[in-house]
Amino acid sequence: MINFAQTFIDALSLGSLYALAALGIGLLFGILRLINFAYGDLITLGAYALIIPSTEAVATLFIGGWPWFMVIIAVAVIVVAAALLSDLLVFRHIRRADPATLMIASFAVSFVIQNVILMFYGSRPKSVDLWSNLNYQIAVSGLRIPLLQIVTILATLVLMGGLTLLLKRTALGIQMRAAAEDFRMARYLGVRGNLVIGLAFAISGVLAAVASLLLLSQTGTLSQTMGVPLMLFAFIATVVGGMGSLIGAATGGFAVAFASVFLQAYLPDDLRPFRDSFVFGIVILMLLFRPAGLVPTKALVERV
Amino acid sequence: MLEVEDLAVSYGGTTALAGVAISVKEREAVCVVGPNGAGKSTLLAAIAGGVPPKRGRIRFDGKDLVGMRAENIARLGISLVPEGRHVFGTLTVEENLFIGTYAMSDQRHAQRDAEQLLGYFPRLKERWRQPAGRLSGGEQQMLVIARALMTRPRLVMVDEPSLGLAPKIVDTVYSTLLALRAERGLTLLVNEQSSDRMLKFSERIYVLRNGRILLHGNTADLQDGEAITRAYFGFDEHHTPATSEAAA
Ligand SMILES: Nc1ncnc2c1ncn2[C@@H]1O[C@H](COP(=O)(O)OP(=O)(O)OP(=O)(O)O)[C@@H](O)[C@H]1O
Ligand SMILES: [Mg+2]
Repeated sequence: MINFAQTFIDALSLGSLYALAALGIGLLFGILRLINFAYGDLITLGAYALIIPSTEAVATLFIGGWPWFMVIIAVAVIVVAAALLSDLLVFRHIRRADPATLMIASFAVSFVIQNVILMFYGSRPKSVDLWSNLNYQIAVSGLRIPLLQIVTILATLVLMGGLTLLLKRTALGIQMRAAAEDFRMARYLGVRGNLVIGLAFAISGVLAAVASLLLLSQTGTLSQTMGVPLMLFAFIATVVGGMGSLIGAATGGFAVAFASVFLQAYLPDDLRPFRDSFVFGIVILMLLFRPAGLVPTKALVERV
Repeated sequence: MLEVEDLAVSYGGTTALAGVAISVKEREAVCVVGPNGAGKSTLLAAIAGGVPPKRGRIRFDGKDLVGMRAENIARLGISLVPEGRHVFGTLTVEENLFIGTYAMSDQRHAQRDAEQLLGYFPRLKERWRQPAGRLSGGEQQMLVIARALMTRPRLVMVDEPSLGLAPKIVDTVYSTLLALRAERGLTLLVNEQSSDRMLKFSERIYVLRNGRILLHGNTADLQDGEAITRAYFGFDEHHTPATSEAAA
């Protein structure tokens, strides 16, 4: 029972991270039909922003040494700026392109960001000690829960709550939902295309920034591909949840995390190395039965 | 008020409009009729900024609309109700109705306008907090017309409002459009496949076929329907007569 509860909390915390990243990807896909593979690199960028640029092996904290709320704000500003810049320089020029072209462009952006990081920070992974007091474990009736897991879950709840409020209760949020459903119709009614798209990039940037801080606190290591696996699992989460639905993206994030954490805990020892194969197998099986994902949305509408 | 000259639009290789000219005067009700694939929807979409013209001019109050963004054309006072209605299905009736006023940050008259429009469409009031996707086809048509009017446009373009609706509901839609025109001094540009109802509704009719205007005249002069039918089926074209692909 203890073991199960521990595993459950592990899955909840990993699922939170996946859900955050999946929401960022799902939001952009909803409005732009863009599957942004550069999203993982925005996460990487947010983590690197914490240290002073240098190619030396030892990392010197820069933003990372500031008070925690300053860290969050500064990293969010940097990642949002990078996300908006990627729209300004690349995606804005191919608005009418089909989703495949957009995705390929996002690979190019991903490649550029990785190489910029390589140029300024070198290729060696660096250890960074961010918020190490979060590793403190709280003992609750036999369970030992790292503070970081609680923070991850809470941060995700706060962000999901904020996003829901924004989308349901504000004029801008309602415009975003309209644009995600039928971009062209929204524009016929005066909704400014570049405004809602910019907002989607900005929100996805905030989500990426928080994800990168949580990820780095967990791993303690910087590398220029650190965000890639998270992006990949988040992408799978959006497919599982149903492309174009935010509830689906979050649900998918938790589903993928639960599958992977529980398989890790309960698979026989000699099968554990193949855990991800099992996870992907389940995903494929699920898609065979529910090809539109767990939370299907109506057929994708053409954009202007 | 609206002047379209020599408008050409194509989708990849397909030519949808090949040099179309129409004009609409303030407070007129003008109708474009034509068979399937004539280019009616393309014409309205091009005016509203939804598809880029290959050549030609579109002027509204003397201002050239070609190359303008759809959202800015909407701000000039042109509102399009596209074919197939396009309600935002997951948004509530209320959210659908106010989207344009949110977008143009023009909340001054929004509440009063909404109440006045609900007088015409009382069914919407009953469905106020429901997702618009759950409305019937007729209710959706009323919602999109009301939604288009919320931004106080001067020119309202409606693309095939009768599509998929029972004749009685279509009558309601048209009488409401006329009532709204009288009340607000609107100008109307409406597409339909069939000209029957248009002979009563509109003051002028254009017949569009294969991307060209084949006939244009005052509704009063076209009442017998003969000339419209000839143009509609392509008998006025100088080259080979058209096949019978279309039915009025
Ligand atoms: N998005 C598009 N891509 C490619 N071709 C298109 C597109 N939209 C319209 N067409 C083509 O352009 C031509 C004109 O189409 P349009 O929809 O404007 O006609 P319509 O008069 O509105 O027809 P309907 O009465 O069926 O609505 C047709 O040949 C159609 O196949
Ligand atoms: Mg049409």
